[in-house]
Amino acid sequence: MRHKTIRRLKLFGVRIFLALLACLVLYPLLWMALFSFGNPGISGGAAALLPGSLALGGYRAVFETTPFFLWLRNSFAVASIQTALQVLVGYLAAYAFARFPFPGRSALFYFVLATMVIPAQALMIPMFVTINSLKMINTWAGVIVPFIASGYAIFMLRQFLREVPQALVDSAKVDGCDEGGILWHIYLPLSIPPVAALAVILFVNHWNEYYWPLLVLNEEASMTLPIALVRFKNEGIIEWMPTLAAATLATAPVVAIFLATQKSFVEGFAASGIKG
Amino acid sequence: MRRPSSLPYLFLFPALALYAAFFIAPLFFAGSLSFSQWNLISPKKEFVGLDNYAALFEDPVFWISLRNTVVYAVATVFPSMAGALVLAAVIERSGKRARAVFRTLFFLPVIASLAVTGLVWAMLLNPVGGHFNIILGMLGIRGPNWLNDPFWAMASLVMVGVWRGVSYNLILYIAGIQGIDSQYYEAARIDGAGATGQFFHITVPLLSHVSLFVLVVSVIQSFQVFATVNIMTKGGPNNATNVLVYQVYQEAFQFFDIGRSSAAAVVMLVLVLAVAIAQIRMIESSESSMAR
Repeated sequence: MRHKTIRRLKLFGVRIFLALLACLVLYPLLWMALFSFGNPGISGGAAALLPGSLALGGYRAVFETTPFFLWLRNSFAVASIQTALQVLVGYLAAYAFARFPFPGRSALFYFVLATMVIPAQALMIPMFVTINSLKMINTWAGVIVPFIASGYAIFMLRQFLREVPQALVDSAKVDGCDEGGILWHIYLPLSIPPVAALAVILFVNHWNEYYWPLLVLNEEASMTLPIALVRFKNEGIIEWMPTLAAATLATAPVVAIFLATQKSFVEGFAASGIKG
Repeated sequence: MRRPSSLPYLFLFPALALYAAFFIAPLFFAGSLSFSQWNLISPKKEFVGLDNYAALFEDPVFWISLRNTVVYAVATVFPSMAGALVLAAVIERSGKRARAVFRTLFFLPVIASLAVTGLVWAMLLNPVGGHFNIILGMLGIRGPNWLNDPFWAMASLVMVGVWRGVSYNLILYIAGIQGIDSQYYEAARIDGAGATGQFFHITVPLLSHVSLFVLVVSVIQSFQVFATVNIMTKGGPNNATNVLVYQVYQEAFQFFDIGRSSAAAVVMLVLVLAVAIAQIRMIESSESSMAR
């Protein structure tokens, strides 16, 4: 009886500790969301611990003085198209690696792993020169095309596809399924959950991408949200309050997606580290 | 058994063609650019041999940014790993439902973009009206001029790096802990081990393979730190937070010295590869010794 009470108290203590720590860790994001509703009219508003009063002025300023919806559209288009292409190309490659023995398979797979170790930043100047000569600066294609082949996507999908039991494939063959049928009727239906988990992770990553889009997108109308936010904050075109409003708006979609899919998101993310 | 032998190559073709165009070609292109003098605009590139490397190695800024990169990596990676490991163990002890909630909450710093994160942290660290110094002031401490002081600017970047790194590593460690057979913990409890003893005698050693993976990934990532540097400090003050990637960026897109930028990029590439290979060797040798 006494033991049980002590255990309960301990559990309660652990939870209180974690809750306080979570507040501390999430402080910058909570601050951003709270002060985005601050009142730009009150001077020194930022210097207070709490905004004096809540207002929508920051948001109004974002919509009135910036092409916010254009940036939102660019972010959405770039992130979703890039995700779709990476999944498609990655699935085909992963399928080849997982299902067929062929000469050069392990060498090619090591090559894919190597692409994940080599820092992309080291290749961005030649890539920039290439994209520039293809006239793809300030286009969605310029952001997307160089990174369609994703080592991460190939690796993750291959790990999953390897687990599909051979018995399923064999019995499908007995039933007269050809190669196309095996892919379509056996593998694809089983792949929906892992593909969805991977797609969400990729989408969030691309939504937040900073370095490469910074190089490729320098016209206001072509920018994605992270690039536009930093650029216009630095030039002082947006004040701090609207910046917080825009930053909150830029963060809300991915946080919503994450919260809606958090179980498969976290498990898919963790799988990259465990099964390797 | 007959297999249509061209089929796997057909499936691999799109990925391999894209890798050839946007990975292998740029790799060689980067190498050749590092031996040329070019300003990105002029139609002609001049071959200058090893001049760019010589100039780079004579440039004190290069050595400063190399040192800063290593300082940032060491100062970020180990606290992120230790913090995540301890936090993962505590979260595991908070009960089933609470665990899921905390796992989600503590992952949010990774979900917010580095651009947003960098902007927000810079505002919080602002000496005029930023919350950090207001709160320190309430405690009777006069806060530093964070991003304009050589020491505190680097400390600020490390702080943001650890903030994000703990979140990132935490998920990997929680998954690792859940993979540990609960019998180990029961046996330890019977032997009288408390929470701390269990942590050091079971959790830490049984997660060593996760730790090695996290170490490799974290080091590679910390060598590539760019967004927070560009947004929060721009490599300043006086190069105190200049790192290799930022130097590559500056040389190319602010000074238009593509040759020198490419030389710096090649140096960075060799360095990251060397560190990664050394770490992967370490993993392999530890795995084979465990198997023995």
